Amino acid sequence: MTFAALAFANLLRTPGRTIVRVVVLAAAVALVGAMILFIGHSLRTMTSSSVRSVPLDWQAPVASRPAAERAALAVSKQHGVLDALPVATAPFAGAIHVKPGTGIFRSASGSILAVPETYTQNIHTIRFLRGSLRPGQVVLDQQLAATLQAQPGDLVSFTAKAGRRPVRLRVSGISVVSAGDILFQPLNPLLGPAPAQPPVETAVMTVGTFAQKLAPQLPTIASSSGLPGIPGSVPGTQWQVQAQVDPAQLTGGPAQALRQATGLRNRIQSSLPGQVNFVDNLSESLNTATGDALYAETLYIMLALPGALIALGLAYLAALGTVERDRRELSLLRARGASRRGLVALAGIESLFVGIVAGILGSGIALLALRLVHVGRGPLTLWRVVATVGGCVVLAVLGAAAARLGAGAAALRGEVAEGRRPQRPRRPLWQKLYLDVAALAVSGLVYWLTARTGFSAVVNPDSNPTLSLSIYMFLAPALLWLGAALLLVRLRGALLETVARRVTGGRARTLSGLLLASAGRRSAAINRGLLLVGLLLAFGVNLGVFASTYDQQARVDAQLTLGADIVASAPAEALKAHALEQKIAHVQGVAGTTALDHSYAYVGPDLQDTFGVNASTVTSGTTLRDSYFIGGTANHLLAELRAHRDGILVSKETVTDYSLNIGDLLKLRVLDHATGRLRVTPFHVVGIVQEFPSAPRDSFMVTNLDYLLSVTHDPGPNVVFAKTHGDAAAVAKRVGAVARPAGASVKDITTQTAQTVSSITTVDMSGIAKIEEAFVVILAAAAMALFVVLGLAERKHEFATMASIGSSVREISAFLWSEVAIVLAGGLALAALLGWLLAEMLVAMLQHVFDPPPDHLAAPWLFLVGLAVAAVLGALLTTVAAGLRLRRLPLGEILREQ
Amino acid sequence: MTSVSACRELVVEYGHGDGRVRALDHVSLDVAPGERLALRGRSGSGKTTLLHALGGLVEPTGGEVELEGRPLATLDEEARRRMRATRIAYVFQGANLLPTFTGFENVAFAIRAAASPDAPTDPLMLLGLVGLAGKAEHLPGEMSGGERQRVALARALGQHPGLLLCDEPTGQLDSDTGARILDLIDALQREFGFALVTATHDEDVAARHDRVVELEEGRVVRESA
Ligand SMILES: Nc1ncnc2c1ncn2[C@@H]1O[C@H](COP(=O)(O)OP(=O)(O)OP(=O)(O)O)[C@@H](O)[C@H]1O
Ligand SMILES: [Mg+2]
Repeated sequence: MTFAALAFANLLRTPGRTIVRVVVLAAAVALVGAMILFIGHSLRTMTSSSVRSVPLDWQAPVASRPAAERAALAVSKQHGVLDALPVATAPFAGAIHVKPGTGIFRSASGSILAVPETYTQNIHTIRFLRGSLRPGQVVLDQQLAATLQAQPGDLVSFTAKAGRRPVRLRVSGISVVSAGDILFQPLNPLLGPAPAQPPVETAVMTVGTFAQKLAPQLPTIASSSGLPGIPGSVPGTQWQVQAQVDPAQLTGGPAQALRQATGLRNRIQSSLPGQVNFVDNLSESLNTATGDALYAETLYIMLALPGALIALGLAYLAALGTVERDRRELSLLRARGASRRGLVALAGIESLFVGIVAGILGSGIALLALRLVHVGRGPLTLWRVVATVGGCVVLAVLGAAAARLGAGAAALRGEVAEGRRPQRPRRPLWQKLYLDVAALAVSGLVYWLTARTGFSAVVNPDSNPTLSLSIYMFLAPALLWLGAALLLVRLRGALLETVARRVTGGRARTLSGLLLASAGRRSAAINRGLLLVGLLLAFGVNLGVFASTYDQQARVDAQLTLGADIVASAPAEALKAHALEQKIAHVQGVAGTTALDHSYAYVGPDLQDTFGVNASTVTSGTTLRDSYFIGGTANHLLAELRAHRDGILVSKETVTDYSLNIGDLLKLRVLDHATGRLRVTPFHVVGIVQEFPSAPRDSFMVTNLDYLLSVTHDPGPNVVFAKTHGDAAAVAKRVGAVARPAGASVKDITTQTAQTVSSITTVDMSGIAKIEEAFVVILAAAAMALFVVLGLAERKHEFATMASIGSSVREISAFLWSEVAIVLAGGLALAALLGWLLAEMLVAMLQHVFDPPPDHLAAPWLFLVGLAVAAVLGALLTTVAAGLRLRRLPLGEILREQ
Repeated sequence: MTSVSACRELVVEYGHGDGRVRALDHVSLDVAPGERLALRGRSGSGKTTLLHALGGLVEPTGGEVELEGRPLATLDEEARRRMRATRIAYVFQGANLLPTFTGFENVAFAIRAAASPDAPTDPLMLLGLVGLAGKAEHLPGEMSGGERQRVALARALGQHPGLLLCDEPTGQLDSDTGARILDLIDALQREFGFALVTATHDEDVAARHDRVVELEEGRVVRESA
């Protein structure tokens, strides 16, 4: 018989054991496969969300309108460019709207955006609320329209430069300029993007209208000058080419997309020498995403790799069942003159069979699992499927071979040592060097160091939520894993052994004494089970706790950024005229609403965001956490606001800068819409606020809505926050149907998170966490079952001997289940300790990813209990089955084997 | 007087189909109380099978096995267990000690299982009888082959059996040690009075017994006193 036939026959002879080996290995491979697929998918998601988050990819400053038009045409013809257009930005000194019968409304200085009529097709820096862009007319930004009290059809006069003749233009629409910080940033290709404070008042018109009516009155900025980014200080017209990259050109993860984008830009610049030099907003965003992607990858690997290794350990455990057969085979082969090498070859061929089947099965499960999580998203190309199957098969064969040969080696050692005094095996190098203890110590040290520096290895001075994270922090959990595993290997159940020796002294007589004595002497085997089960459960706890904390935090983070589950914003007039808050409150799925006024006020010379809130209803529309405030709980400070009509909550910086105390008078200058002028208004400081839903990270203020409206003479609030029951995106659709016709824009937390700037919170962890959790639950049951089955297989002879002496099946099974109980209890305890510690570490490292940082771990109790139940059930069922098997043990057959 | 153990027309077959092996072929045998019987035969002649069958460790394909006059087939699970615990003890070739128990604990385990009022209750005393009181706390893995056989004997005594079945008790020992073990078995047999059935292929060993039954291909071919 050839080796292959022999190996095949071996596998078929014990179908049960072969199936267990295949299934365990398939689960291990599926875990890795799903992880790799998921990482690939996440990275592509990060790329696309990062690309989508850039409203304007490239801006090249040029000297004149003809230069802009020529260059735009040339760039747009280049392969890989979606669109390129000539655009101008310019300042205006002021605008006036004479509203017959009502009064004259003036605006302060602002900015003009001049674009071709087709601009909004491919570039999404502005959005029309009403009307459209028409030659010879002007579109007002929402804010400017509000300041001027202007509607489409009205006539508004613009003064380009103080002292010049005003130009009268008819209003053709109202828009929202959503990317003012980028559109009006100073363009210096040498310095790169430098998003600037957006102008408050913006007007949009066609390039033709601008060139004809306003440009002649303004100086033009030379293309190469680097201007300071002070808003409103731009002295003249900045002609530029704005280009958008075809997103289909950017594939793969952020790093790859970044290379592609930079390559494309360089190619275009060098093919049009001297004509365009881009300020590259796209690469800037992809660059940030690249760093985050690396962080995310490390995070995923940290989360998944231990699981895969533990699953491989289970495969080893499953292969250990072949030890008996290996012994027999070895003597058979020896009798035929074959050698150890023959046995190795046999094991190798066997692993090949097992690996191929397990690999195909595992990759199938992985692909299916990913499909379940991401229905319709991230299509699996043929290439990806082939690569996954191939990778999984290779991995499974290697894993099977490692497990099989490892177990085989144990058999060979056992053969030699059989019947001899158990010799102390030579201590491996890592034990002599105390690498386990060292790993734990370094892990603690790294953790302590990062904790001391507040987990912010790199502090980003930018207020943007970009993150530069240090990978070395991951050393802490990685080393904790390693150290804990090695330490357990070193101890080999020494504790159990010592306890047993102390208690029984080698002279046990009672059943419990005999059980303990036996367990003590099998402590190495028990420890092997404990190690695998404990680490597996620890992995599960770590994964579950981390994932649910991540989930919770991502939601909190997104809510703080957006403001609430659903946010509808519209000009105050529209909100009031359509009674939007009430309408939204009645939408099915909306749990509660609150309306607030988002406006601006000057504290001394600083313009700060000001939120007028209804202190009684604000918590029904959004969630306020105590950590947002200093000097009191959320409830306490809201009560303060309610108690003081002119009360105001200010930021810590404001308190320090103006040396304020609680109760102090604070005079603000707020815009009075009745007069169109700033008006000094008294407030009283009632507390300090650090964070507020939808507020920017820097300074802002929170005050009472009624009081604010009474001084601004705004018609009402301009934002509605809504809390939802269940899926925010679905409810948002219904809210949108009610609110959009009234001119409101509606955002929801689900969609918003998916679009948040490249942060790793973009990536939805819950999918992969679900997959992994399912694997862990299955593996936990399988691990306990394997432990029982293996124990029975190893001790068959022993149990048969006990039976031949007249021991009852109940007594014999006690030797099985007592070990199972030790492994279960030890495993659960280890899992609780190690898993929690690991989760704590990982979550602590996300401190600066999340804003606000998580203040406690979220425990997914359902999953944790499920995990424990799975382990217990797996143990229970197999122990019961083993008991039945013990009853039918062929004693004569077993006992004749010596 | 009823025999301790007996079989009538006993047939034991292993396997099925083409691989079917008849290990015992219509064997009839009586073992009287206190009798010392040797089963002699070449390797594969069915000695071990017969010992197992007498102790109820293999199910007969045909015929009947009796223990102290009661047919084994009529005994329920618990009765069989009691029988194994208190009436029959084995000493195998490789001793079959429980590897995770010390010598003391191996004996204690058997005493516990038997829980018979007549049985000795002190493992140390029994180990003393076989001269191993000093190694009570050693594990089987830490003992020599002869020592292990002696512990097995002590364990068997702990069951206070009416019948001791020994399967090649000296098979793995050098002749000197073997002889000493056989002497020990003889001495203990005289003291405790159990019936003894020893399977062996060795004529000298067989010659030490009261009666020798010769097996060949599963059949009794000769009996000599
Ligand atoms: N499980 C089994 N399946 C098939 N045949 C078996 C099995 N056990 C024993 N046999 C066969 O039954 C016959 C009797 O075996 P047994 O072990 O009783 O002989 P023995 O006299 O004890 O031999 P030895 O002196 O070598 O121990 C042999 O031919 C053996 O090959
Ligand atoms: Mg035999």
